[in-house]
Amino acid sequence: MNIINENNNKDKNDILDVIQNEEDSKNLIEPQQIGLADKKALAGVGVLIGSESRSATMVVRDRQPQPIYTLNNSDEFEMLPIFVALKRYEWLEKQYSFKAVARDFDEITEKCAADQKPIGFFIHVKKDAKVILPCQTAMYMASNNLTQIVHNIVILEENSQLELITGCMTETSVKDGRHLAVEEHYIGKNAKLTSTMVYSWGSGVMVFPHTGTIVSENGRYESNYISLRAAKQVKMNPQTYLNGKGASTKYLTVVLGTPGSFIDTGGNVYMNAEGTSAELLHRGVCTGGIMHQSGLVIANAPCKGHVDCASLLLDTAGKGYVQSIPGVESHHPDARLSHEASIGKIAPEQVEYLMSRGMKELEAISMIIRGFLGTGIEGLGAELDAQIAEIAEIAGHGEK
Amino acid sequence: MKSYINILEVRDLCVQAGGKNLLDHLNLTIPDGEVHALLGQNGSGKTSLMMTIMGFSGYTVTQGQILYKGQDITEFDICERARLGIAIAQQRPSTIDGVKLRSVLLYILRNEENPEERLVKLAQTANMEGFLDRSVNDGLSGGEIKRAELLQLLAMSPVFSMMDEPDSGVDIESLALVGGLINKLFSPDEKRKAKRNSGLIITHNGKILELFNIDKAHVMHNGSIGCSGNPAIILDTISKYGYEECVRCIGRQ
Repeated sequence: MNIINENNNKDKNDILDVIQNEEDSKNLIEPQQIGLADKKALAGVGVLIGSESRSATMVVRDRQPQPIYTLNNSDEFEMLPIFVALKRYEWLEKQYSFKAVARDFDEITEKCAADQKPIGFFIHVKKDAKVILPCQTAMYMASNNLTQIVHNIVILEENSQLELITGCMTETSVKDGRHLAVEEHYIGKNAKLTSTMVYSWGSGVMVFPHTGTIVSENGRYESNYISLRAAKQVKMNPQTYLNGKGASTKYLTVVLGTPGSFIDTGGNVYMNAEGTSAELLHRGVCTGGIMHQSGLVIANAPCKGHVDCASLLLDTAGKGYVQSIPGVESHHPDARLSHEASIGKIAPEQVEYLMSRGMKELEAISMIIRGFLGTGIEGLGAELDAQIAEIAEIAGHGEK
Repeated sequence: MKSYINILEVRDLCVQAGGKNLLDHLNLTIPDGEVHALLGQNGSGKTSLMMTIMGFSGYTVTQGQILYKGQDITEFDICERARLGIAIAQQRPSTIDGVKLRSVLLYILRNEENPEERLVKLAQTANMEGFLDRSVNDGLSGGEIKRAELLQLLAMSPVFSMMDEPDSGVDIESLALVGGLINKLFSPDEKRKAKRNSGLIITHNGKILELFNIDKAHVMHNGSIGCSGNPAIILDTISKYGYEECVRCIGRQ
């Protein structure tokens, strides 16, 4: 296990040297402490420092060239800062970098592509490797008014498996900032990537992530996205390409909208091969601000797709709204596509029912929201479950 | 807590909903340790009385008082009443998508030493183990709803239980189980070794009343109690002559 501590005041090249000169990259540096306050903040987005329940950790703090990272590399699994990986592996640039997300997709991707000092991670799971414990990364903004430009690449080779947890957050005192990100996933034949991303931003932060995922034959991509503390603006438009026969994806997006926030969770899934399937589930609780839920599945082959948007609009005193536009588009007669959307409020009789069991009104509301967010979603795992419970808690009680 | 003789006293209660008078100067007294039955035609106000005693919104008290253990609870919210020991098993309770029966029970049992263990035992008693991870009341049959409601009441171990037609939709075989659960609710327990818990039961069916002891029956008519007395005699009259005879009799008084 290696940790390069945030206190190590090395620049990018020093770190490159450290990694490249080390003979045995499995046992570089002894683990060192990450500050208690940072640890706590990271745990809030599911990133557990020093936990034995994680296979590897990388924390990118601000834009400083040195990430805090823990490496637990083996022959089957490799995690590196992206700038190290791009320098070390020529094929990465040639075959993968900006192949799942076009450089010129929009202004944000252009900015990311033009960045000379990309921060972010590279994860490579080799053929047949099953990484049992989740690996975790964090994009941590600890300074005010910063622009974080991130480029991540995740490659899963044939028959491999990985669970990735990414926490994106600002330190609690940070109000403003910009987080621009390109993340590319390449999922090989029969491989499975589960990506859980937890957002917790300062109220003035602008967040523009672009994720592109290419899934090969019988590969599977599961994306769980949880937004705990809403930013001023979050606009995400993930593109998923199911290119191999039998490839599948499932998106679960759980968002809490609060006054002053604008959250747009969209995304397209292209089903380009026979037997592919996609399921997009959006769950939102709006206590204020603007929430756009969309999602479009596009069928270019015999396939199955379903988009389901459901929201609770709590009392926003007329200052917030939810818009749900689940979409389906078919270019093939043998595609089966469906969508549904609902926006409602919490029924008073449900609250009173739970109150008659001894719950206080806010406890009852939290339990109902928790139930709503979890409807149709089984087996989330204890950590994700805890994050959703926290959304219910905040939505029911107001900002903590 | 000051001493009290009556667990419940409803005094001159008038209740409206949607501009309509549901309860009209209603008086009802239930002494501590007694279980009473509430009879009456559909629309006579039985359910409205229970919902008002529990404190549900939509039932506006325009006059009168509700006293529980001698304390005026007319202005208390539902949660406060529940925490004082009042509970209700509704006839048609809400369905709550995504909220599991297990979660509600664990909440109720949160202060127990071993909530999980107790939950399983209670669920076995009510034959509801298979329903713990389903949404509250979602897709349950009539009989299952009754058992789910009674299971929650058992977990709460209330001092005063109200049940709105606990026997409706229950098949004959399950009736004994439901009767047993109700009996258990009213039976003396560790907290009260020598006294039954109290309650109020709405029913149209005398059968369930044979399964546990009822101290007194009341017949409701037009939003108030028209007649009170020995449950066996009242039930016998109703089964022989129907509610019309009660209405006639109340009219004569």
